[in-house]
Amino acid sequence: MFANYLTVALRTLIKHKLYSAITVVGLALGLAAAILIGLFVRNELTYDHNFTDADRIAQIFVTASLPGRAPEDSVSLPMPAGPALKQAFPEVEEMARLASQTSTIKRDDALFTETVAVADPTLFRLFDWTFLRGDRATALDDPASVVLTRKVATKYFGDADPIGKTLLVDGRSLNVTGVMPDLPANTQFAFALLVPMDSPANQLPSWLREHWGGLVTLTFVKLARGASPSVVDAGMPAFGAAIPPLKTSTGEIRFGDILRFFPVPLTQSHLHPARNGQVVGISPLEITIFSAVAVLVLAIACINFMNLATARASLRAREVALRKVVGASRGQIMGQFLGESVLLTALALILAVAVVEIALPSFATFLGKPSLAFDYLSDVRVLAALGGLVLIVGGVGGLYPAVFLSAFQPGPILKGGPAGTGGGRLRVALVVMQFAISIGLMVATGVVYGQLSYAQGRALGFDKENLVVVTDLYGAEMRQKAETMRDTLRQDPRIASVAMAESYPGSATENNTGIHRPGMTDDQALVVRQDAVDDSYFATLGIRFLAGRPFDPQHLTDAVPVEDPAAPDRPRHGAIILNQSAVKRLGFASPEAALGQPLVLPVRTGPGVQVTVVGVVEDFHQASVHAAVSPGIFLLSPDRFSQLLIKVKPGDMPGALDLIDRTWRQMVPDQPIPRVFLDAQLQGIYERETKTGHLFAAFSGLALVIASLGLFGLAAFTAERRTKEIGLRKVLGAGVTDIVRLLVWQFSKPVLVANLIAWPVAWYAMRHWLDGFADRIALNPLLFLAAGFSALLVAWATVGLHAARVAATRPIVALRYE
Amino acid sequence: MLKLVDLTKVYRTEEVETTALNQVNIHIKQGEFVAIMGPSGCGKSSLLNIVGMLDNPSSGQYWFGDEEVAGYGERRLADIRKKNIGFIFQSFNLIDELTVFENVELALLYHDIPSRERKERVKEALAKVNIAHRESHLPQQLSGGQQQRVAIARAVVSRPRMLLADEPTGNLDSANGEEVMNMLTELNGEGTTIVMVTHSMPHAQYARRIINLFDGQVVAENLRAA
Repeated sequence: MFANYLTVALRTLIKHKLYSAITVVGLALGLAAAILIGLFVRNELTYDHNFTDADRIAQIFVTASLPGRAPEDSVSLPMPAGPALKQAFPEVEEMARLASQTSTIKRDDALFTETVAVADPTLFRLFDWTFLRGDRATALDDPASVVLTRKVATKYFGDADPIGKTLLVDGRSLNVTGVMPDLPANTQFAFALLVPMDSPANQLPSWLREHWGGLVTLTFVKLARGASPSVVDAGMPAFGAAIPPLKTSTGEIRFGDILRFFPVPLTQSHLHPARNGQVVGISPLEITIFSAVAVLVLAIACINFMNLATARASLRAREVALRKVVGASRGQIMGQFLGESVLLTALALILAVAVVEIALPSFATFLGKPSLAFDYLSDVRVLAALGGLVLIVGGVGGLYPAVFLSAFQPGPILKGGPAGTGGGRLRVALVVMQFAISIGLMVATGVVYGQLSYAQGRALGFDKENLVVVTDLYGAEMRQKAETMRDTLRQDPRIASVAMAESYPGSATENNTGIHRPGMTDDQALVVRQDAVDDSYFATLGIRFLAGRPFDPQHLTDAVPVEDPAAPDRPRHGAIILNQSAVKRLGFASPEAALGQPLVLPVRTGPGVQVTVVGVVEDFHQASVHAAVSPGIFLLSPDRFSQLLIKVKPGDMPGALDLIDRTWRQMVPDQPIPRVFLDAQLQGIYERETKTGHLFAAFSGLALVIASLGLFGLAAFTAERRTKEIGLRKVLGAGVTDIVRLLVWQFSKPVLVANLIAWPVAWYAMRHWLDGFADRIALNPLLFLAAGFSALLVAWATVGLHAARVAATRPIVALRYE
Repeated sequence: MLKLVDLTKVYRTEEVETTALNQVNIHIKQGEFVAIMGPSGCGKSSLLNIVGMLDNPSSGQYWFGDEEVAGYGERRLADIRKKNIGFIFQSFNLIDELTVFENVELALLYHDIPSRERKERVKEALAKVNIAHRESHLPQQLSGGQQQRVAIARAVVSRPRMLLADEPTGNLDSANGEEVMNMLTELNGEGTTIVMVTHSMPHAQYARRIINLFDGQVVAENLRAA
């Protein structure tokens, strides 16, 4: 019996090549898209699931509620938090912290930059990576030890065993004590080398170890067997209250009021909502969106199958009738057609797997997950998932045709009567649905791209073009060199301007301070972002002044003097520049009104720094546009400068880069130049949105292609079936144009109706998505019209071809046809 | 073998109600060869569809053996049908995608018959209608007469007790028509009950009884001497 089904199925497939191809190719594209999205989603959902004690490990998050600012969540904790947690909670069995830094590795005469993790030696008691070489238990015991990932081990030592060999990290010689596998795609850890917290190569300043005011390390705890994270969570307010307060000039900072710690199970950490808005990672909303897109694309492919199968049902009617006559029950007939649909899906799957194989490398690179794998041969779960996919898609796609076909009454059909023309309305409804999905996805793509270019464009509030930043110039010696470099570069005609500052827009570092008007206490202070910048900073970034002036080296009172450790109470004075938000939050009526006004910056001891407002600048985004611009102040504090911002004249970039690199080499010959392009750096911030946009575009394009494929098949079939009618119309005087219009109109109607469904749904969904941005575009009705019109154009192009062909046939041929 | 009592079939659409069969009473015995005649639209095909259990009557009784099947659902009808009834059609109704052999085998697929026995019986049936040499051909490679012979082989391969033939010679020339009639007579001689709808009086003469239908009613029954 099965062989008979298979024979008929295969021969039918071969006989009707066009329709088979449309169905199989459409399904294959849909399946391939679903598999790719599935791999991506699975990767996102299985972050850090592979550790033996994953279910007992929690990552500690913190919500920082600074006065005057919305609470902000962070995965970085103050350094003392980890040891304090271990001490405070008996449920905490182990604790490990980890911080990331960029280090220079020297091999022979070549210099390399690598991401190095600085971690507590207990790290391996929580995370049991299988070591390829060395002993995990003792690998980080010696301060001068270093553990390498496989790739790095090969990079520096080739095939030789690196254990016991030395590696020069930031000028310190470290002993290799272990080699661990490269990190998989689904982990939040990202490092090439691992050194212990007390390593000589640790760049973290030692004062941070006892300081509760800096958010520095990832902190993990392993709970005792049976201990619940909720117990730890419940104890957190008491834990916060026990943090020693920090004394300042006019009072004290109680960290328990600011920091609220909470444990998050390791396996939920990656997609935890608290990570939302961070640079790295993807939000649960996006996971949902992409899963939905996969289902929608598959649905479109299934609809193709359903539509073509039922439209062409009359061709199978006689077979169904005969099978019934010789004794087949309706269930058997349904089984046969469901089986056929599953077979077709299985064929499509083979094609889809090939498509995935071809697309995966670029897809993985694009996602930034080069190790993303599609192990359908070795991973039983993947194989089972694919099998399940075939059954579900085949079942869903085949169910309606099976019900429809098995309902045929054999009597009239075997007498040569019609097979029944039912299902026409449902077919139209399905086409409407397909195009509604396609149009909806197109609108979504447009909105995502619109928001993106808005975010990356003028909305930033500064000019990111042609800006090179030499980063991380910490320490007095480096700063000295940077100043020399600045002066040298300023001489060159290719350089427009050079500025020095504490940070630059898009860099991850952020420094906050309290600020208040004279006469208020520290408790009433507003917490603002502070940046130390020089006189050229605003000009270099093209930031506009709303009132006042930039800093001026000629005004000796502009610069804030460095605190004298011998006399911390000595009053200090300086100038301050505010951004627009700070002006509002400090209660000044206008930028002009703020000029000349005195303000106070509280410090640890003494009366605080007395500053006078000399300028007000427009708000500009220092971080992602997900967040609103926070109140910010700018001080002329040269001792805090660590970044060199270089604005190059348009068109002079290659020469200028060469100059910058050469100048660097002359001054710092033993380190590679740490330079970045500001626009590229900012792109990193918007990477998630950019990728979301590209993925959306790709999948919505694919959806439209598959829907068009289906329409093409349906149009071909309709044109074929209406040949006689068309012949008659022509005999009665219709011209080619009339006929084309007739058919094109028939297929335009569902697309037009599809708009009515797609528009409100897309409007609702995209408004929801845009609400996640502090600074957002408005939904443009033109975008909706454009999406609808594009779909209509595609439909016309698809149908017009058939219509023109049929319409051009001489009527007698058409009449003879049936 | 079968008995129709006051059998009525009414087709209803939204606006029109058509009575295809009106209070029909027919009794056919095991081993009979019955021809049903009448003008187009007299209800011949409706009658054959109901007798063949492809359709249910609107009212009346249909006794098949000892069972009253008029109210049976599709599943039970399919079961009785496959065990007892074979069909031959005017338009042959062979499946284009299957070979001659596979077309005939189709009739056995829904019976629980082991593959080897199935193959033997197909060969036997093909030999019986003299088409064994074409078993691997596709239907469109055969002449009309050959196609109908395949259809007959398909109808008899499951060894039905009753054969329903709906104008089996309608699409054939006279020589092929004669040949088909001879085969049916032969099958009847072997004990198969045959009910045949036909327009052709000469072919109706092969039957032992001719039932004339007009406007859904039996208007005449002629018994021929054997």
